[in-house]
Amino acid sequence: MKYYKFGDKTGRYIGRTEKYDIYTSTITGIGKDEDDHEERTQGEIYFNYGPSAGGLRESVNFRLLTPGESIRDVIINSGFKRRNVKITGDSISDAMLKVERINGFHSASHSIAYALAVEDALNVENGDLNDARIVEIELERIRSNIDVIKGLCESAGFAVPEKQLLLLREEVARIISSAFGHRYYFSVNGINSIDGDFSRISLSSIEKQFRSIYNGLLSSKIFLDRLQENGILLNPVSSGPAARAANFRYDARLDSESLIYGKYSTVMETSGDTFSRFLVRAEEIFESINIIESYDIKKSYRKHRMELNGTGEGTARIESPAGDLFYYVNINEGRLIDIQMCSPSYLNMRNFRYGLKSGNIFTDFFFVWESFGIWISELEVGFQ
Amino acid sequence: MGKLRHLDIGTGGGVSVNWFISGIRKRIKTEKLDQYQVMYPSILEGVSDYKCPTEALRNGNWDMDKCIFCRQCDLKPTGKQETYSVQHLVPDIFKKSLYLYPVDSGTCGACNVEFTSLFSPQYDSSRFKIFMANTPRHADALVVMGVHTDGMERVLQEAYDAMPEPKIVIGLGACALSGGIIGREAMEKYDIHIAGCPPTPASILNAIIEARDKR
Ligand code: SF4
Ligand code: SF4
Repeated sequence: MKYYKFGDKTGRYIGRTEKYDIYTSTITGIGKDEDDHEERTQGEIYFNYGPSAGGLRESVNFRLLTPGESIRDVIINSGFKRRNVKITGDSISDAMLKVERINGFHSASHSIAYALAVEDALNVENGDLNDARIVEIELERIRSNIDVIKGLCESAGFAVPEKQLLLLREEVARIISSAFGHRYYFSVNGINSIDGDFSRISLSSIEKQFRSIYNGLLSSKIFLDRLQENGILLNPVSSGPAARAANFRYDARLDSESLIYGKYSTVMETSGDTFSRFLVRAEEIFESINIIESYDIKKSYRKHRMELNGTGEGTARIESPAGDLFYYVNINEGRLIDIQMCSPSYLNMRNFRYGLKSGNIFTDFFFVWESFGIWISELEVGFQ
Repeated sequence: MGKLRHLDIGTGGGVSVNWFISGIRKRIKTEKLDQYQVMYPSILEGVSDYKCPTEALRNGNWDMDKCIFCRQCDLKPTGKQETYSVQHLVPDIFKKSLYLYPVDSGTCGACNVEFTSLFSPQYDSSRFKIFMANTPRHADALVVMGVHTDGMERVLQEAYDAMPEPKIVIGLGACALSGGIIGREAMEKYDIHIAGCPPTPASILNAIIEARDKR
């Protein structure tokens, strides 16, 4: 375990696994949660929304506490679709098929973080794959950020840019499929291996099309007005684009050694509102394109199944599109005896609530929700 | 309205884009359903004695509903996108319009994203008179995605019960159909089985069109 140790908390808080609290370089026992909800007062009602509703892509239930128009608090029940995945006892390679399906939309991030944790546990030299893995994750980030901005356009009733972004999302899926043989990176990443032809990645058309949509959105008074001063979150306990939109320079690309990034500039905003999160997501698309182009990988990699019989504990932390993603594995003779995962959706869900109760009204709900890019699939998964 | 930040950095220093014109300028992007093909998932051919992790390979037979297209066996992809089977034809009444209501029973998210791609310009399901319903009360077909989960069992049943007759149920993806690699199937019976992990948008549309329009 090169990058983490069990002990007292150090650095910033990353989030929670089933058994542990995670900081930037330490793993601790689970701390006390002091997350009290507002009391309902006379005349207030709970407005029930979900778990299954047309406006929700995944199953989740919200109970919005309201005196009428404003939202005073929200009780979130994300556990409806909780999946219990039988994975302990699996060989480290078999487990990969399940890990890459924890969050299918961020499967490159999950499968690479898991592979890095296994390689850390078994002391596998993996430096050769560092750059290619970064390219995969940055390409995934581009698609994910397009999707978040598409969600914001949908919330604003901006049908034309919404459809243009759906078109772009599909084009990125096709680039991923052409390079890696699968639209969601399934069966692409292995222990110390990748299957993909990086010469097929070309992003100039994506960049041009996105820039035109982005400029159009920035020139729209109505769009800006809907996003600004909405869902304000200035919480130092945050992660990913939501943290960077509030002027916290939190980024696993800067403070984790699991993957070593070269020169790259962090996108920061200061207001912490939905608009700032939109700007960070949009500008990071250009930054991810820069990163991918700076590596200029034109190689093909062939996957090989690696069954290692080693024993050990390992960790990895990477910057997935929504923030820090952490894996811990404990391996005995090539089989998993424990696996712990902390996804950015843990902190983002808490912070969505804080952002929503910061003086918003009903019509703001979808903007705030979409701007955090939360995936219930990675939040509600148990390992057995 | 307070002072709007950034309004001067877009095109033309604050002159709003006319999205209608912008949409028209981009021209029609809708494609024929066979214009874009992928290999995984597609129909697999050949023989393999590989020990399939989902038991999709048994006694020399390939069960596409169980296959997660993991590429580990010796079966070869054909690129044919007919990765579906129709158990019951769709009632004639849905020829004029068919409204789909998706329910996420326990997905990884990828099936959900592929489902929303049906409404992208490339696939534009509305040209086939296939639309999305925002409530099961307005739906003709329940689209079930993901594995069975305890929390969603009742929600799924309630959504089905709330739909008016006639109604059909579509199983979308290996998880819903067989449990895939993650768990067990979300429902026991479906009128249309759409295999894949996840199924492609084209195969979803092709399956529905075949069930509805072929007699
Ligand atoms: S591709 Fe994978 S899941 Fe499908 S039959 Fe082959 S081994 Fe089984
Ligand atoms: S079938 Fe595959 S893509 Fe669909 S939810 Fe299950 S694991 Fe995800």
